[in-house]
Amino acid sequence: MDKKVKVVPCSGIGKVFGLMAREAVLKTVIELCPDKSETVCLAYIVTGDKEVKEKIEGYDCITVDGCPKMCAAKNVTLTGGVVVEEIKVLDTVKEHKGKKFGSPTQLSADGEAVISEIAEKIARKINEIN
Amino acid sequence: MSVLKVGVLSCSGEECLGGTISRLATRKVLEELKFIDTVTLCLPLYLAGGEEERNFAKVFPTISVDGCDKLCAKRSTEKFSGKISGSIDVSKIIGNENALNTKIVRNKDLKDEHRQMIDQVTDEIVKMIGSISPDAYSGKSFHGCGCGSE
Repeated sequence: MDKKVKVVPCSGIGKVFGLMAREAVLKTVIELCPDKSETVCLAYIVTGDKEVKEKIEGYDCITVDGCPKMCAAKNVTLTGGVVVEEIKVLDTVKEHKGKKFGSPTQLSADGEAVISEIAEKIARKINEIN
Repeated sequence: MSVLKVGVLSCSGEECLGGTISRLATRKVLEELKFIDTVTLCLPLYLAGGEEERNFAKVFPTISVDGCDKLCAKRSTEKFSGKISGSIDVSKIIGNENALNTKIVRNKDLKDEHRQMIDQVTDEIVKMIGSISPDAYSGKSFHGCGCGSE
């Protein structure tokens, strides 16, 4: 049985915070915790296909959202994932008032620094679980 | 007066390079295309949002941009929103091996060859936008993606 924690970002395309969610998750699953975590395409989850349900249903999931719509958390929950942590990019961003994080296309150096912080938070949670 | 716009909807898949290319090519069209207005929507809002988001493809002639042949953006749009006006499968443009690359997914890891792939996909989106019939416009209005973008 695959025990990797599923880490799913919103990847919102309209604001930098969606890119920050995406990049933080990718940093976590590719660099920080490749043996304990993996991501699943949120667009695939939205399809509701049987194969993606099987990947998510009953598994520990961490969602990372860039706006209050909480698309990742809602869609993972609807698909049967066990959301053990809902991370909100804006919670971390609030601690960095006045900084420019980049655009929905490209992060600035400040944006990269903040996604590293978020990735560390995600990794800590993964290490608690696994 | 309603402004005529074309919807471009990316899968933005997180598991492979094709998703990154679909996202960045869509962003490039939104930012750089001058001859017609374009608008996008976060795909998961079909379920997490409301009726306005689900009406997206009924309001705009919409092109889906998918990173792999699962065609999640196309299928979800047709399932939850409405008929699309065109569909792009990035894996058909950059090749399956590139599209399904799981090592290079982050923006910071992209090299010149990947930037060329983004340009190729952007060109295909622009071509497809150019082929949309003016009759496809509904004349209805949309107040922007729920995440706050326009």
